[in-house]
Amino acid sequence: MRDVRVMSYGEAIREALDDALAKHPEMLLIGEGVPDPKTIFGTTQGLREKYGAERVLDMPLAENGMTGICIGAALAGMRPVLVHQRIDFALLSVDQLVNNAAKWHYMFDGQQQVPLVIRVIIGRGWGQGPQHSQSLQAMFAQVPGLKVVMPTTVGDAYHLMLEAIADNNPVLFIEHRWLHHVHGEVDKHRPAAELSGAALLRQGADITLAAFSHMSIEALKAATVLDKHGVSVEVVDMRHLNELDVDRVASSLAKTGGKLLIADCAPEMASIGHQLLSKLVLAHRNSLQQAPRLIAYPNHPVPTSHFVANDYYPGAEQIASAVLEILDKSELTESVIRDLQSDLPKDQPDRSFVGPF
Amino acid sequence: MTAMSQAPADLKHLYYQMLRIRRAEEAIARRYAEQQMRCPTHLCIGEEAIAIGVCAHLTTQDKVFSNHRGHGHYLAKGGDLPRLLAELYGFAEGCCGGRGGSMHLTDLAAGFIASTPIVGGTVPLAAGYAWAEQMKKSVTAQGGASAAGGRTPGATNVVVIFFGDGCFEEGVMHETMNFAVLKKLPLLFICENNQYSVMTPLAERQPKRDIYKIAAAHGLTAVSGDGNRVDDVYELAQAAVANARNGLGPQFLELHTHRWPEHCGPNEDDDLGYRNPGELAEWKLRCPLLQTRQVLLAERLSNDAELAHMETKLAEEIEQAFARALQGSRPTIERMGQHLYA
Repeated sequence: MRDVRVMSYGEAIREALDDALAKHPEMLLIGEGVPDPKTIFGTTQGLREKYGAERVLDMPLAENGMTGICIGAALAGMRPVLVHQRIDFALLSVDQLVNNAAKWHYMFDGQQQVPLVIRVIIGRGWGQGPQHSQSLQAMFAQVPGLKVVMPTTVGDAYHLMLEAIADNNPVLFIEHRWLHHVHGEVDKHRPAAELSGAALLRQGADITLAAFSHMSIEALKAATVLDKHGVSVEVVDMRHLNELDVDRVASSLAKTGGKLLIADCAPEMASIGHQLLSKLVLAHRNSLQQAPRLIAYPNHPVPTSHFVANDYYPGAEQIASAVLEILDKSELTESVIRDLQSDLPKDQPDRSFVGPF
Repeated sequence: MTAMSQAPADLKHLYYQMLRIRRAEEAIARRYAEQQMRCPTHLCIGEEAIAIGVCAHLTTQDKVFSNHRGHGHYLAKGGDLPRLLAELYGFAEGCCGGRGGSMHLTDLAAGFIASTPIVGGTVPLAAGYAWAEQMKKSVTAQGGASAAGGRTPGATNVVVIFFGDGCFEEGVMHETMNFAVLKKLPLLFICENNQYSVMTPLAERQPKRDIYKIAAAHGLTAVSGDGNRVDDVYELAQAAVANARNGLGPQFLELHTHRWPEHCGPNEDDDLGYRNPGELAEWKLRCPLLQTRQVLLAERLSNDAELAHMETKLAEEIEQAFARALQGSRPTIERMGQHLYA
């Protein structure tokens, strides 16, 4: 049975939280601004009214303390979902996340568990600047015991959120802010098997594009235009960060002649993109037939000024150029870029995304 | 309130429990030199009265969280002694299967949830646990079912967090007190003020003011007392536990005491000179066991023969606990990766 509805990524998260609050009486939704009128980009709208102020609540500005309090509540059988509107704020809670949440089950020999979801929002635009738009996913994915998921599609946002809440382990759930407005299908009866491993977003024959979060959307944009120019791109979305599905990438490479481009949405240094490449080389040494390329952010903070921030972020144009270089078809670059160009400023994903928040 | 909490202190029983911790710690210190307990070990000799005076008012449904110096809290709450010792030896039969050592203890059956060694690390966890207890009680109350179990209607399980004066300097401590008061949590903050963080005296770390007054300013019911008088601790804790149980919100006790051995390890370290001259000797005169023994004898609540019998009984228990712990098995490398995820 299929029950398919079209909604935005933000709405899908709201719907998942709604369904989980109904299903798990022990679930709590807590965070700075959770019940406020802006409702965390719409993702918590109406939930306090429906489930009450005891279960859907704001919190003191005490990220580390409140993370510990949520861990303690989880030990006592609750199922808290803690929201940080920026991943940068979660840095204040790294002690509790790393020293306690991630290790608790292990260090007490499996006797206790911490069913906790930490929602963090990464992203860019409208001058978020050095301390409001970092991409720290690799840092968290490095911690054993902490699951890190970064869904890209609307359907994955819904289902991976439900899965994270039902999980008896701490899960860091990473949302790119520019995904919240993207529309797509949610099939509530989707088989669970479709949620594990990497997701094949687009079939192609000429090259494999392994991408992360919002860069998968940019990859799809590039792939659509490249297709019109006779280039067939396969897009694989790497949604589980500490269980990187290298096998899926390798099987794609077997189809695309071992040509690989990785598009990460984080600074290049010690990125998950690098990790993917490293694991691929070690586990599937013959999968690459040509030198791979990695697109990532520069290794410096992003400045606030929109005059310069635009050049910080690679997007569909850089992806298309790199694809054509790998395929030795650079003569197509100029016309592909022309087709990709939009009149939107690069600090807005679409016209609806406006300041100041 | 339970019947136990209303009773005056059974001083003989409290003495026996304190003596048990003292003798167990001394036995650990003696055997530590054998180099088989290969983990950082923080002994609580000199501070036994606080753990015993507080835990005397708790049931197994009440929970305790603790810190790096946690043996006394674990034993006072009813934690299993052989499993504590096996944990120190790194055996699979240890309370954490050898994954924790002295600084990570747990005994869920006894209601001792955990001790961990990041200073302040367990403080918010205790508050979160108390918050969950409070929410569960509220759900039960709404459903009309009785969870009171003979207690005052509306009474709830309480959670206790033990920490030191150094921990009071951590931000997370104040974040937790703020939330605990905001939600009126059934939580007891027990500050064991032994004046030193490792070897650094309080005066180098905090301005001259009372710790409990800062807690009071956060809105907690806060008092201070002599942490080396088990009868005093018992009385202060009796009122605090009753208040927390009956919905009066979080309680804070600042209890003054002193650690006799080195910060970490089995030896004394007065020769290092970080304590004031004569300070340790003076605190030894105020030994919680010595003071209680004097009262027991002066008031004829016990006698030399009975006290000697206690010693024999404890020596046997501790000897047997070591024998049992030492029968433990090595955790296997194959198991080492298990339980990364639940």
